[in-house]
Amino acid sequence: MAGLELLSDQGYRLDGRKATELRKVQARMGVFAQADGSAYLEQGNTKALAVVYGPHEMRGSRSRTLHDRALINCQYSMATFSTAERKRRPHGDRKSTEMSLHLKQTFEAAVMTQLYPRSQIDIYVKILQSDGGNYSTCVNAATLAVIDAGIPMRDYVCACTVGFVDETPLADLCYAEESGGVSSLALALLPRGGQIALLQMDARLHQDHLETLIEAAMTACKGVSKVLDEVVRQHLQEVSVLTGE
Amino acid sequence: MSPMKLCVPGDKLCSVEDCIPGTGVYLRHGYIYSSLAGYVLRKNEGEELPVISVVRETETQLLPDVGAIVTCKVTSINPRFAKVHILYVGSTPLKDRFRGTIRKEDVRATEKDKVETYKSFRPGDIVLAKVISLGDVQSNYLLTTAENELGVVVAHSESGAQMVPISWCEMQCPRTHVKEFRKVARVQPEYLQA
Repeated sequence: MAGLELLSDQGYRLDGRKATELRKVQARMGVFAQADGSAYLEQGNTKALAVVYGPHEMRGSRSRTLHDRALINCQYSMATFSTAERKRRPHGDRKSTEMSLHLKQTFEAAVMTQLYPRSQIDIYVKILQSDGGNYSTCVNAATLAVIDAGIPMRDYVCACTVGFVDETPLADLCYAEESGGVSSLALALLPRGGQIALLQMDARLHQDHLETLIEAAMTACKGVSKVLDEVVRQHLQEVSVLTGE
Repeated sequence: MSPMKLCVPGDKLCSVEDCIPGTGVYLRHGYIYSSLAGYVLRKNEGEELPVISVVRETETQLLPDVGAIVTCKVTSINPRFAKVHILYVGSTPLKDRFRGTIRKEDVRATEKDKVETYKSFRPGDIVLAKVISLGDVQSNYLLTTAENELGVVVAHSESGAQMVPISWCEMQCPRTHVKEFRKVARVQPEYLQA
């Protein structure tokens, strides 16, 4: 591909970041009053909105009730205006279903579902603007929403997408880098214990590089977790000031 | 109250030798970690170790647990059981209604087979009941009113007025003086207003 260098000789990427630099993360919790928990998160230009309802009685098919834990129901959708060309089918297509399953798997690892047997927790995430790292932004936004809803979790869940270019791992890929043929790996991590909730990759990568890439992803996730921690603490202090504690 | 410490999910609070875990925390490898974003509360319960728990300003949804006293509203009756919506668990209102069932044999403690649900509950009654089971895949929460303090607390007569309890099985309408059959809850003396 002529012209477009994903990593320049001086070590700068397309948007001017260094290889291990994350995009700017901004987030707000409690954006909706009617939902049990909600959060809005921006990671660079990717914007996601997450809403959590629950735990409540099982709705829909009662045969899916789990007798000893809560069922986590995730739905991922993209707004029709989120991509460069208007998206024709925002939900129900294969990619959305796959993402929903990944989100479900990620949160089943972190949320303490054994405390709510025979009930259901709904997590809905919508991407308002898509610029790469959709899954990671969704996971980070949903973590904040679950914390806002007061549902007990073992730890934060932080996610980041990393890619491998010119023997260097690049942290937090944007859309241009993802579609530029970079082998990308998405990792969801519980930062304090260093436990991996989900690892996804569907590109070709040499086995020798896998270790380095996972290490880079874990470092990036820990960076994200610091930002999320700040947001949660600040929100707690704001809420306590309002309630006069 | 002294300023309480803020904590987030995953924060290590203390070791299991220093405190007993309460609500909002979990145990892992001999240490107590927080599972909610809120304030750490240490209470001395009188035993040797204090109980540590994490509290939030807005309480999360409470689920009805086995043995809990719940307040529910009857939605439909049937010769075999009555279906109810659970509104309160103890004194905490629920944001969402949970569905429950009171079977015919769980209405009273004595003469269980001679019970007629039509003479114990009617749709629209407010009933105090106890959860006996979370139920299985097919059924909802199973409740019982087979105690003196459980049963109908508020009921409206066919003419629309709120009825007054006369005995454990009858209530009377103050307007028309018609008596109707209900399984009435015995009100605790401290809740009676003079």
